[in-house]
Amino acid sequence: MIQFLFKGIIRDKNRSVLPILVISLGVFLTVLGSAWFKGVFSDMINTNANFTAGHVRVMTRAYAENVDQTPNDLALVEVDQLINDLDNQFPDFEWVKRTHFGGLLDVPNEEGETRAQGMAIGQGIDFFSPGTHEPERMNIPSSIVEGKLPGQPGEALISDDFAKRFKVNIGDPITLFGSTMYGGMAFTNFTVCGTVRFGMRALDRGAILIDISDAQIALDMADAAGEVLGFQKSGNYDEERALQVKDAFNAQYAADSDEFAPVMQRLNDQAFLGYYLDLAKYMSSIVIFIFVLAMSIVLWNTGLLGGLRRYNEFGMRLAMGEEKRHIYGSLITESIIIGTIGSVVGTIFGLAAGYYLQQHGIDMGSAMQGGGMMLPTVFKARIGPEAFYIGFIPGLISMVLGNALAGIAIYRRQTAVLTKELSV
Amino acid sequence: MIAIKLAFKNIIGAGYRTFLNIAVLSFAFVVIIWHNGVIDGWNMQARRDTINWEIGQGQIWHPNYDPLDFLSFQDAHGVLTAPLSDGVKSGKLTPILLTTASAFPQGRMQGVVLKGIDPDQTILKIPSDLLKTTDYDLPVLIGKRMASNLKVQEGDNILIRWRDKNGTFDATEATITGIFDCNVPTIDNGQFWLPLDRLRTMLDMPDEATFLISREATPPADIAPWVFKDLDFLLADLDMIIQSKKGGGAIMYGLLFIIALLAIFDTQVLSIFRRQKEIGTYIALGLTRWQVVGIFTVEGTVYSILAILLGAVYGIPLLWYTAKVGWAMPAGTDNMGLAIADKIYPVYGTGLIIFTILLVVIAATIVSFLPARKIAKLSPTDALKGKIQ
Amino acid sequence: MKSIIILFLSTFFLLGSNPPNADEILKKVEQNLSSDNRVFESEMVIHGKRSSRTIVSRSYSVGDKESFTEYLSPAREAGTKMLKLENQLWIYSPSTDRTIQISGHMLRQSVMGSDLSYEDMMEDRKLTDIYSAKLVGEETLDERKTYVIELTAKVEDVAYHTQKLWVDSERFVPLKEEMYAKSGQLLKRTTLSNVQKIEGRWFPMTLVYKDMLKQGDGTEFRMTSVKFNQNIPEYLFTKAALKQ
Repeated sequence: MIQFLFKGIIRDKNRSVLPILVISLGVFLTVLGSAWFKGVFSDMINTNANFTAGHVRVMTRAYAENVDQTPNDLALVEVDQLINDLDNQFPDFEWVKRTHFGGLLDVPNEEGETRAQGMAIGQGIDFFSPGTHEPERMNIPSSIVEGKLPGQPGEALISDDFAKRFKVNIGDPITLFGSTMYGGMAFTNFTVCGTVRFGMRALDRGAILIDISDAQIALDMADAAGEVLGFQKSGNYDEERALQVKDAFNAQYAADSDEFAPVMQRLNDQAFLGYYLDLAKYMSSIVIFIFVLAMSIVLWNTGLLGGLRRYNEFGMRLAMGEEKRHIYGSLITESIIIGTIGSVVGTIFGLAAGYYLQQHGIDMGSAMQGGGMMLPTVFKARIGPEAFYIGFIPGLISMVLGNALAGIAIYRRQTAVLTKELSV
Repeated sequence: MIAIKLAFKNIIGAGYRTFLNIAVLSFAFVVIIWHNGVIDGWNMQARRDTINWEIGQGQIWHPNYDPLDFLSFQDAHGVLTAPLSDGVKSGKLTPILLTTASAFPQGRMQGVVLKGIDPDQTILKIPSDLLKTTDYDLPVLIGKRMASNLKVQEGDNILIRWRDKNGTFDATEATITGIFDCNVPTIDNGQFWLPLDRLRTMLDMPDEATFLISREATPPADIAPWVFKDLDFLLADLDMIIQSKKGGGAIMYGLLFIIALLAIFDTQVLSIFRRQKEIGTYIALGLTRWQVVGIFTVEGTVYSILAILLGAVYGIPLLWYTAKVGWAMPAGTDNMGLAIADKIYPVYGTGLIIFTILLVVIAATIVSFLPARKIAKLSPTDALKGKIQ
Repeated sequence: MKSIIILFLSTFFLLGSNPPNADEILKKVEQNLSSDNRVFESEMVIHGKRSSRTIVSRSYSVGDKESFTEYLSPAREAGTKMLKLENQLWIYSPSTDRTIQISGHMLRQSVMGSDLSYEDMMEDRKLTDIYSAKLVGEETLDERKTYVIELTAKVEDVAYHTQKLWVDSERFVPLKEEMYAKSGQLLKRTTLSNVQKIEGRWFPMTLVYKDMLKQGDGTEFRMTSVKFNQNIPEYLFTKAALKQ
């Protein structure tokens, strides 16, 4: 019988094309909408994870106490071993080193003496490792105003405003004068390979981005780093898993009373973020519910339409002696088939579009600014597990429900008046 | 006219399906207004808090003052010029003097900024009157973030060390006489608020200030060499973040809106199919086909009008309620140095509501017109027989 | 660092005994210490939060206004040179071949993570020029009898409004120095020890400099070599010499 119904659906375009189209479109919108909501709600979380806290973050206990001051003298040592251990223990995370520092950026004249200088905020991140995700994570490629990413040791990105103010061009040397991890004087020459717009005034005034290996050399931090961040390889923040990892890691050092012992925090431990995460979860379920509800109403309508459209056909079938129950049953079965096809098609397209937006996002920044900046203005969708089934709720259930309601009319029809109805 | 009358009759006659369509559309309508209201409310709140707590209606800076370069503070102070001190006397300006210093909570050293504020000032909401106490040698006021950062409470003493205008060190125990709770991190993180006269004495800078806060958007004349910074300048960072948040939301309600329009489109297709005989009758009665198209299009428009009415029925109380109780927000961008309130009170502007109404009506009309165009190609006889396919 | 030493030396050296009042003590210290030029080698031990570092340097100075310091170790700092002329300071780093001027506000930053700022190192005025002194008593310190002298600023631009000195009553070497804020709050304390006789003068070979408001063990100087009246070429006190 299902085979028969399939043939009907395929051959009668009225039965198939429009409903499937509408369902697909509706399911597509629902899936995309829910992915988008999820993406927008996790935007703040991602920003925070990517720029500051990672999904989990390892610091020394003393550093964690004063994390606002990014005290480099309290940095982690023997980080390579630490990262190695972390990699072995928690292979589902990508572990990266980051170091924040401050210093003076000094622009030389031809004699190598100070021509201009300004305070700068610096960060060492992984630019060089093959396959590093760090520049993208920090949204650096799209915030470059001139030049390119550092490609070899000794290259640095500086803020565009700083470069303009002190007339520093790409290829010019610049000296970072700061203090080493141990308080000694740190002098390092860099070649400016590009300029960046951060979109935050404090950073735009003076900032320098260098590779973590250069930072280690410059700040006398061999095998040391301010922080080790862990990012889940899935790309999404799974707070349960982060908690497991955090607890497992910290348990290893529970007996250690050294203030320089490493300690792990997860993203939720950021004072305000825990609350935000809860709110985001709550809000996105409300929003998704609203979407599903709205879409259900639309598809219910489509179901009704499908049933009503075939008023004459059912009349004929009734006149020919087919049982009402049988007609109703076939109608429902058909709607299940159509709903399923529509939901599958819609979900596939929705996931595809969602995936595209998850990877590329929509840049709201260029519309406002006329140039990229570091503060992310790219909004991205995010496909969660529910994206795979959420479309079926309106697509299948509403469609079937709509048809079921429309089909009730079949029972109301009197065989006696059928001939009259059909004579027109 | 006949089209509108007919449209209303037809739509109301269609019963609960009409209601469903209207419900979805009204829903999109309310959500659009709500979402924009939240963003606008957020924007206004953040701007208002920043204005009330930090910047007033503008600031007049000493020419050397650069808030982002704390090393500049040492040179960024001067005696108020006559126009400025007149402004202070008339209550239009209030001076702030600042310097960098070190605080020593529990033997740690932490860089702080000391800011002198007139305890009697009324331009900023900072509770500067808490500095009027004479019970302590040096009363200071700090924000709640600073308090938790330093792990201190009201009544605690904290040692601070600073240098006067000659570079001579001085140090004393300050007593925290108040902890204020405000959403503007830039007046909280790393800041100690002191009585202005006291700080002027401490620094040996009588009658001097680093910047002044203006009660009015226009500064006094002849303030040179001091520089007036207007709200556009002072709020630039904030405006940018809010703009970007608005963009993310636009996509969300755009999708919801498409769903609502899909509902109307769908209904139009259905109703044109079901009412072929009616269409045939109209044409037979002498209406032109385009008039019939008009009837059906107007029906779509009527949907949108009903949706707006329905939206108003539940939307007005709902939006009113959210505007009254606010929407709890986490201080998510706190660390970016922007003012984000714990609660956002949506603000629904007239412009927003009119724009949304027009958007809904026009969009609904267009999607109704699309399927109705078919009618124009119809021959009356086919229509009467019910043969639209 | 050298300037600090100069400060102490030029202030506290004294030949003779039974000083009638504090001003006279200080004056005699300066008279006796005015050496045209000096060469010191010293080790500075900085106690950090997790480790201590020792920085070895050699300083040349002529008069009060000119000084040149070269860092000898650790390897990372070796070859770094610092030139002070009047109130200007340049630092040269061999690894970058750059001469960086430290000016204005940067002078108040800490040197190499120590309890000293560049500004502290730059102070080149005589104590008697900026302070008026008063003998306030006698105390025994580390089994040495000392005169306690209180110094109160008589000019405006001094870092410390008052200071207190404990001067060995026989050798006329200060054994302790305390710096106070205008409010009277104790800010810093220097203890001087290991007093040795060099070229006929008593000389404190170890100085511990401590910021009293901060936790920590302070910064320690140890003189390894002190020479007076050496031949120092004038060329050394030019920016060109930094690069050599």
